[in-house]
Amino acid sequence: MRKLLLLLLVSCAACSKGPQADAPAISEARSLAAEWALVNQQAAEQKLTAPYVRTMHASIHQQLQTAATSLTQPHSVYGREIHALLKEPDAASPGALRARADRLKQIEDSLESA
Amino acid sequence: MNPLELTLGIMTAVGGFVDISELVFAAKAGSMFGYALIWVFALATGGIMVFGEMSGRVAAVAKQPVFNLMRHRLGLKLGLVTLFASLIANLITCAAEIGGVALVLRYLTGAPYLLMAVLAAAVLMASMWVLPFKWIERIYGLLGLFMLAFIAALVAIHAPWGKIAGGFVPQVPHGLSTKEYLVFAYFAVAIVSAVMFPYEAYFYSSGGIEEEWGPKDLPMNKVTCTAGFGLGSLLSIAILASSAQLFTPANVSPELLGSSALEVAIPFGWIGLVIALLGMLFAISGAAIETCMANAYSISQFFGWEWGRHRKPWDAPRFTVTWTVLFVAALAIILTGIDPMQLVEYAVLFSILVLPLTYLPLLLLAGDKSYMKEHANGRFGKTLGWFYFALITAAALGALPLYVLTSGGQG
Repeated sequence: MRKLLLLLLVSCAACSKGPQADAPAISEARSLAAEWALVNQQAAEQKLTAPYVRTMHASIHQQLQTAATSLTQPHSVYGREIHALLKEPDAASPGALRARADRLKQIEDSLESA
Repeated sequence: MNPLELTLGIMTAVGGFVDISELVFAAKAGSMFGYALIWVFALATGGIMVFGEMSGRVAAVAKQPVFNLMRHRLGLKLGLVTLFASLIANLITCAAEIGGVALVLRYLTGAPYLLMAVLAAAVLMASMWVLPFKWIERIYGLLGLFMLAFIAALVAIHAPWGKIAGGFVPQVPHGLSTKEYLVFAYFAVAIVSAVMFPYEAYFYSSGGIEEEWGPKDLPMNKVTCTAGFGLGSLLSIAILASSAQLFTPANVSPELLGSSALEVAIPFGWIGLVIALLGMLFAISGAAIETCMANAYSISQFFGWEWGRHRKPWDAPRFTVTWTVLFVAALAIILTGIDPMQLVEYAVLFSILVLPLTYLPLLLLAGDKSYMKEHANGRFGKTLGWFYFALITAAALGALPLYVLTSGGQG
């Protein structure tokens, strides 16, 4: 019985498509954008070391790439926003990155309330 | 009780308490749910204190390590199942810790991740080969005290102490969506698992036997477990609280291991960053050694081989080969390129599934007067033990469905 229930849960999770299925990736991208902004802000205040900043940038970029490729609707509004975020330079201004994080947050909230 | 030994024991337990999973889950829990999960850390810390003390007491009185008991109490078949499940859980945890060490080294130096993983594994294996048990425990535990920078950072950012104190009261936040409630429940289960990882009991009790504890060491065992684990847990709570204070307003739910170090960099600058990373490096390195040794102890004890770091490596050849092979296997997992943060999720999930089977024989033996005589669990100890056993069983039953329903806590 328990096995059957788990199988059902896994199947449901695997089959789902669309904005609801993409919600975890949107949430991850929003958080990564905000984290990137925070890193760049602290780096501008000379509170971080260069290897740390480089590594954070590389890791954020890699995670964003993974989030982007996991989207079931890459050409949606949020898909375009995540791809635009990926094109930002490492040293992008914290304000620009925060604005992107805010836009993803709005999309995330609207999906949650839908 | 030798006061110096006692102080060192407590400090070692404090420095060795935090590992990669606590770093990840504490920071995420704080950013997503504010202070509302502090009580889960406190509750689970009570659990590891209870079972840690029991495993130390059994080692001191009955001179029995956990996996010896398991085979006697559960029988060969169920014992083998438990052994296999805990081997998988510990191996994944060990791989996650090695990956964590490599990541921290990369944050410190900027050198390639996989190269750092190989270097870290080589240094850790060399220290396991060369150092006696007590020194392995002390060096990594004491250097892990750099993690105290997280508590200093919490003070420096003028934390809302009233709200933090309020977090110790059991609660579920109001007004969440069904999905958010599920994520909250997933985090609660993951925190219980991360704090009560089974390798901690295997390592601690085997360590007691390595150090030839006897009934005279029972007061030290009790104080070390209570004060050491308790103070260590405060480190995790500090990481959670700083995350709630700094990351929640910035819309950050930390996705990377390095994010936690920002908590110290924000108030103290690059010096704080380096101290935090060093603390993380030694704490996670200690955990990597503990998980590997715990696996080698488990296998050797189960099959009745000679074991222990108090012997020369060639005097316990099967034990030595076992920990060497396990460490190389954990490194091989990392070299496949799997994300260590993903491994942390799997480690926490597997470990919670094994926890009830790990702690049941311990609970039964610690209450058995024929083995433990006047040191058997009293009424209070039994009540606490069964309460925590019920808690981890409930967490084990809920873990897999919650993991699937929340996409591993992503919502």
